[in-house]
Amino acid sequence: HIPPRTERMAVDQDWSSVYPTAATFKPGSVPLPVRMGYPVKRGVPPAKEGNLELMKIPNFLHLTPPAIKKHCAALKDFCTEWPSALDSDEKCEQHFPIEIETIDYISSGTSIRNPKARVVTLRVKLSNLNLDDHAKKKLIKLVGERYCKDTDMLTITTDRCPLRRQNYDYGIHLLTVLYHESWKTETWESEKAEEDMEEYIWENSRSQKNALDTLIRIKASENVSNVTKEELLASEVVKDYRNSVVALKNEGETENNMSRYKESVKKLLNIQ
Amino acid sequence: MAAGALMGVLAPYGGCGWSCASPSGPQGVGGGEKMAAGWLCRRLCQGSAFPVSYASRILQNQCFFQNSNLVGVRLAGSQANTEGPKTNPLVSISDEPETLYKRVSLLVKGHDKAVLDSYEYFAVLAAKELGISVEKVHNPPKTVERFTLLKSVHIYKKHRVQYEMRTHYLCLELKYLTSSTAAVYLEYVQRNLPEGVAMEVKKTKIEKIPEHIREPIWDTLPQVEETEVKS
Repeated sequence: HIPPRTERMAVDQDWSSVYPTAATFKPGSVPLPVRMGYPVKRGVPPAKEGNLELMKIPNFLHLTPPAIKKHCAALKDFCTEWPSALDSDEKCEQHFPIEIETIDYISSGTSIRNPKARVVTLRVKLSNLNLDDHAKKKLIKLVGERYCKDTDMLTITTDRCPLRRQNYDYGIHLLTVLYHESWKTETWESEKAEEDMEEYIWENSRSQKNALDTLIRIKASENVSNVTKEELLASEVVKDYRNSVVALKNEGETENNMSRYKESVKKLLNIQ
Repeated sequence: MAAGALMGVLAPYGGCGWSCASPSGPQGVGGGEKMAAGWLCRRLCQGSAFPVSYASRILQNQCFFQNSNLVGVRLAGSQANTEGPKTNPLVSISDEPETLYKRVSLLVKGHDKAVLDSYEYFAVLAAKELGISVEKVHNPPKTVERFTLLKSVHIYKKHRVQYEMRTHYLCLELKYLTSSTAAVYLEYVQRNLPEGVAMEVKKTKIEKIPEHIREPIWDTLPQVEETEVKS
């Protein structure tokens, strides 16, 4: 019978012409003494001729390094360079603040469609949007769970439309609506109570009233001429006290904050 | 006569960009060559890239030899040599700005770890050759789905058989790709995906803030009543 092709193959042949595309393993075309399979008792794994295991497994004989290099050299013309000005994440963030994440799914099966592929996630840092203080607080209240305070990132995930393009447009629409609504001030917003405030504001709070009352009574008992509220507010000790109270309420109780509060109270009440 | 020899050489390689180079005088030949070069955009075109580029490269060498003997005849090959690096006629550049992908994450799932390892070598080498920076390559832990069934068709509850399906994962994270490069790399890598292996590609696109979110429009609107709300 005819000897297999392997015996006529030169050592320095061009392998990419033997296996140019993905093909099953042909024992007569691969000049390697490969053995695969479970060995018989006191024997060796079966040889490559007629070996089903070798034929079943996907082989990468068509993707040897020289073949990959040839393919990439031909494909290199179609690639474009990344702009060199955007070489770090911070610069990307500064020039292109919005990040859009989409996922594609590839698998073998009867259908190439995957319903999960229409999900679009939009991420933006609020510091990059043009928002003032009130607008930012209102936006955070409107958005609720989708805002992460630690990274200052707003994440909008849309999948209510059947197509990815529609979901992307809907996400951008949501962002636009949120932005413009947060700049509007409704009439009922003036009824915002102290419980709704996100951070502690010292002006017009009980702490300010108590401190001022105490100071006025101290001054009255020392029989000094009536100092006005504005003078008291502008004085150094009261400012110091205000800063320490605000820091305590907003940042929590740390060693630093507590010691600052102690110092400011001592200065306020003039005790050593 | 050299041009005739050139045409003889051209005939077997029918499908390349030199087909417009007919011996209609130097001007015609020059014009034809400029036309092919001027038609430049950067989009991946369908059609077999490999045989054509090989053919046109072989053509280059042969043109060069014949050209050296004859001074007066202007051949298409000679003009390409003096122009600089050869421009691929399949490449087309369009004016629209490229979308930028900050990160492209490939998650490859398969039942056989050896296949995934070979695929990893292939994908990493391809990325390196195309100039794409690979940020991280790691193997998330495999998930095993096991279930227990009755061994027999009827009764024999105490004798069961257990099956399991192992899914191995491979995660490749690439950084900073343009849309053309991403399209090229993903198509190459997906065409060579082995049978029985699945892939999920997560692309993170970066964009500027759209025009309508730059400024709040309430300032620019004319004074309308409160009830009319525009978004």
